Amino acid sequence: MSRAKQEKKEERLEGIGVYKGVSIGAASLVDDPRGRVVRVRLPEEEIESEIERFRTAILVAQAQVLEVKQKIRAALGEEQAYILEAHLLMLQDRGLGRQIENFIRENRANAEWAIREIASNLLEVYAKIADTYLRERGNDIEDVTHRLIKILSGTQTRDLNTLSNDAIIVAEDLLPSVAAELDPERVLGFVTSSGGSTSHTSIIARSLGIPAVVGVRGITSRVRSGETIVIDGGEGLVVLRPTPETLRFYSEQREREKHQQRVDLEERDLPALTLDGEPVILRANIELLDEIDIIHRSNASGVGLYRSEYLYSQSSTGLPSEDDQYEVYKLLAEMSGEDGAVIRTFDLGGDKLHLGGFKQEPNPALGLRAIRLSLTVSEVFRTQLKAILRGAAHGRLKIVLPLISNLDELRSAKRIIAEVQREMREKRIEHAEDVEIGVMIEVPASVLQAETIAREADFLSLGTNDLTQYMLAVDRGNENVDHLFDSLHPSVLRAIKFASDAARRARISITVCGEMASNPLQVVVLLGMGLRDLSMTPNAIPAIKRIIRSIDLKTAEQIASHSLLLTTPGEVNRYVREQVASHWGHFLTPVGWE
Amino acid sequence: MVRRQVTVRNRLGLHARAAARLVRLAGGFNSEIGLARMDTPVNVVDGKSIFGVLLLAATQNTDLEVTAEGDDEMAALEAVCGLIDDYLGES
Repeated sequence: MSRAKQEKKEERLEGIGVYKGVSIGAASLVDDPRGRVVRVRLPEEEIESEIERFRTAILVAQAQVLEVKQKIRAALGEEQAYILEAHLLMLQDRGLGRQIENFIRENRANAEWAIREIASNLLEVYAKIADTYLRERGNDIEDVTHRLIKILSGTQTRDLNTLSNDAIIVAEDLLPSVAAELDPERVLGFVTSSGGSTSHTSIIARSLGIPAVVGVRGITSRVRSGETIVIDGGEGLVVLRPTPETLRFYSEQREREKHQQRVDLEERDLPALTLDGEPVILRANIELLDEIDIIHRSNASGVGLYRSEYLYSQSSTGLPSEDDQYEVYKLLAEMSGEDGAVIRTFDLGGDKLHLGGFKQEPNPALGLRAIRLSLTVSEVFRTQLKAILRGAAHGRLKIVLPLISNLDELRSAKRIIAEVQREMREKRIEHAEDVEIGVMIEVPASVLQAETIAREADFLSLGTNDLTQYMLAVDRGNENVDHLFDSLHPSVLRAIKFASDAARRARISITVCGEMASNPLQVVVLLGMGLRDLSMTPNAIPAIKRIIRSIDLKTAEQIASHSLLLTTPGEVNRYVREQVASHWGHFLTPVGWE
Repeated sequence: MVRRQVTVRNRLGLHARAAARLVRLAGGFNSEIGLARMDTPVNVVDGKSIFGVLLLAATQNTDLEVTAEGDDEMAALEAVCGLIDDYLGES
């Protein structure tokens, strides 16, 4: 009784919000990061067919075990086959089957969910047995469970595509490629127990415009599929079993957000000019081609950063062919208009390439990755370059090289590009000759040499996430040190100013394409330091444009120059916040400023 | 319903192979077959369920009570107790 009462109580869990916005929906638990085992609350009429699906899986599993058992018996004799006899009996166990079927009926659960649930109850009981040998029979239960779930996922998978249209996904973790395939029309948000705000999964949540909260410890064991939950991406809050008052509060907030989205749409075509008339270029960061139409919705000046890694992670071989890449780059060139698109060459480690021979590195952030890897496996790099150069014949594409830490890397890459172009000329392959080649400024070494680099590069891009990580020696995906990651750290600001001044003196452009470009307070400081070209997740563009249109550059410059003189990240944050509130507080809107 | 007490004699007790053998045998009868440890308060497990039999955690020298109820209860009781008495088929 008291337990039932307790279960009805509202519960609030905190995590890290990665995309501002409120969602109210039905929790849908996903059991593995690949999204294959989902806990679904089924419609009434599907229950009987789900039970059939379970019974079929049991029969298939029995046949499999029998076959293995016969093989073992033939090879090793009857004595060794006995353990499979136990598996077979487990699969035939009428009590177990009945419990699972009851669970499916009572909870309108899919078979995978029911199997996991009943098996974990059994395992709990076994864990209490004193006899070690018998206690270890728990392994057999896990083995049988695993077999059943594998069979079920081979049939009609209950995967993410079968979710209801008000689903909020709850998972330990989601692979970025799975997150990327979520349908924003049906998935209202997601909550994971691991991850930080700048993890890849979070970046994808932002670009799809799905509210999400990550780093919510223990979430998967506290909520059941089908329960109503509220997520507040702005506050990083998850509400379980919300009371009617809570629901009313969040429904109203959601209405306000929808209103704001309508306003954003109305303001779509207004120019990004400060109050004193200074124009700012706003570009889009994208990873998926689906996002291209968001560029048009937000009226971005082309693509400031296309992260090509996604092409590799999506390819089943880890190595997309030249033609496959060409198709994507061609589309990018055609869709991004006269402002063009900046393609960042492969920016991950060798373990992501499926080439073999790449071992897990003890310290991958400082290892063989990005341009270092491209120069090492130059065939892979050449394939990507050919595809980009062919694509560039259809519009304006630029190439940006990630993780340049010394000038030799830039020179080698340029030499390879020239070789590839010569080869394509000889073979009379249609391609572009005049492609601009830029450098990502993201390690301290390239900041300090920005002047020299600016003389040899056609443009610079500031990757503020990596720059902050490498300046501060903080792994942004590590929850233990996540709080030390702050792009308003005075040293990071000085590095940005240094690179920005170098670009201006060399008369080349510099684009900010990290998360700073979409953070309202940080944007004020960036503008104040002289940056005029920002690339961000397309969904952030309306709010950032509104901020640009609300401020004057003179004040922003004062804020920035004072910030550079402060001593700690905390001081800078407080100071900028106060200044923004006192100068432009009357422009603060519910959505946009944080 | 008929009942009888037996002692698990084989060295390994009702481990996986022995339990499987017992469940297979019990499954061949129409009667419901129950097993319970004598040293704990009444907690009868289903003799036709591998999970139930394993949960007895019956090691060597554990005293069990076997029950059978149904049209072939006597035969079932004889067979199950016979198997346990016979070191669960393990010499």
